[in-house]
Amino acid sequence: MSAVDRSLAALERRLWLRRLASILVVVLIAGATYAGMGYIAGSSVPKLLGDLAQQLPVFAENLAEFLRPNFVDFTIRSKAEGLTGLAGLTGSLGLSNLVGTILTGSNSYIVSAAVMTVVIGFVGTVLGFPLALLFGILGSERVTPFPFNFIFRATMSTIRAIPALVWVLIYIPLASISPTSAMLAVATDTIGNLGRLFTDELEEIEEGPIEAIRSTGASRPQVISFGMLSQVATSFIAWTLYILEINVRIAISLGVVGGGGIGQYLDLQLGFLEFDKAMAALIMVVVIVLAVELTSSRLRARLRPGGGEPTTLGEAVRSLGDWRRWTGTAPR
Amino acid sequence: MQPVTVAGVTKRFGATVALDDVSFRVAPGEFVVILGPSGAGKSTLLRIINGLSAPTAGEVTIGDAPAGQTAAVGMVFQMHYLIESLSAYRNALTGALSRASWPASLLTAYGPEDKRAALAALETVGLLDAAQQRAGSMSGGQKQRVGIARALVQQPAVLLADEPVSSLDPKAARDVMRYMKQAASDRGLTTIASLHQVNIAREFGERFIGIRDGTVVFDGDRDALTMDVIDQLYYDEVDV
Repeated sequence: MSAVDRSLAALERRLWLRRLASILVVVLIAGATYAGMGYIAGSSVPKLLGDLAQQLPVFAENLAEFLRPNFVDFTIRSKAEGLTGLAGLTGSLGLSNLVGTILTGSNSYIVSAAVMTVVIGFVGTVLGFPLALLFGILGSERVTPFPFNFIFRATMSTIRAIPALVWVLIYIPLASISPTSAMLAVATDTIGNLGRLFTDELEEIEEGPIEAIRSTGASRPQVISFGMLSQVATSFIAWTLYILEINVRIAISLGVVGGGGIGQYLDLQLGFLEFDKAMAALIMVVVIVLAVELTSSRLRARLRPGGGEPTTLGEAVRSLGDWRRWTGTAPR
Repeated sequence: MQPVTVAGVTKRFGATVALDDVSFRVAPGEFVVILGPSGAGKSTLLRIINGLSAPTAGEVTIGDAPAGQTAAVGMVFQMHYLIESLSAYRNALTGALSRASWPASLLTAYGPEDKRAALAALETVGLLDAAQQRAGSMSGGQKQRVGIARALVQQPAVLLADEPVSSLDPKAARDVMRYMKQAASDRGLTTIASLHQVNIAREFGERFIGIRDGTVVFDGDRDALTMDVIDQLYYDEVDV
């Protein structure tokens, strides 16, 4: 047996062992999921599936209600004139009506509730940003020596461990359950989430530029700002936009527990079993989430090296209207 | 113009001896090339002269002062180490960081003489017209020239270069060396550059110091740098 044959046989053996191990892992995960479903339902899995199948017609019947979205609460005018269904949408067009509705800041019109949600997400992100930056930088081992950086890491981990839905409850004594406490909850959540992303980003920077800046005789704050932060500035902005997307979604769910905005409107209509109005709110939710995600991902794409070809603001705005750019089929 | 004196410098990293009792003196305004194979200790030596790293034993003096005042020593790095998101001009300006306060440097609010120094340094390396260009979009040779400009803005007495051209093609490498040598002679800088391309070293060097396994094995001018000496430096079969 030649050396090549021997090492081929050894390789084949290892390959088989690895295949066996991966099959075993898949079987284990499937088994755990099956058992988990039974645990959740408190019954056997076949009984659970049977129950679901039995309830399906009732669900479908309710679903039909959802298929007739009712935009009567879209703006001041649609509500005042009782424009139901899609007429609420078409009858609401007009700048003064839309602006007037937004200016009410009320959670009982879809448009103003949607704006409220986006504003909570945006303001919360901006308010959380400075502390996220501070904690994120101080949490990095590159900036704060080893045991001490854990003070900041632990603070961020603790903040992250508590969901925004709980933060809004913690802020009840300060601002009751309101858009204000939702804003504070989003801001607090941002410190933990965004700060952690900043710390991770800082751990991966190159040592070279840091040393180059140090060799110019720069002071410690200058080494941090020029050697380290300038390397990560664009990715910090990109991560902030990403957290903004998440925060708008959090603002929606905070509304469901009473934190204002489209979530609160949705919860109210579901509570009254007004599924047609709830559907109108759900459509608005999808529109908000998609609009924020698309805007943010477009902006982030422009930040990427090579994606940031010199463009004017006008060009950037115009390219937002080009659907081929959204779908990634635009000619380069 | 300042002389550089390296006296009995030894550097250990754990059990590894990177530099073993290295001594030499570089006269004011001299242009010295340090030659040697990879891992000979060239980078360690330059880092110690710059004050970025402390020797285990021995000392380095620049003029009359001990090494460690990094602002007085300009350094050009092998991989340029620019801030790629900033323009050539702002990269050159980072050389003036030690003269600006932190808030002022954040706002690019340097003194007018520092701004002029940055543009003058870019002119010295032939990049005045590219001052606004993002460093990340420049060629390797241009980046390294911005690196030289940054070192010049420090207004150093001594210029160090750690393998400044080893990641460049031969033409760009010669350009960079030419600009660096010109800048050094114009401004009367004592210059120590480590190189490993022997042909480029011979073309630009005036005095050569050969380092192998952490010790100085050669110190002489171009005429003394014969093929035998180079074989001794780089190849194993000759006893050193």
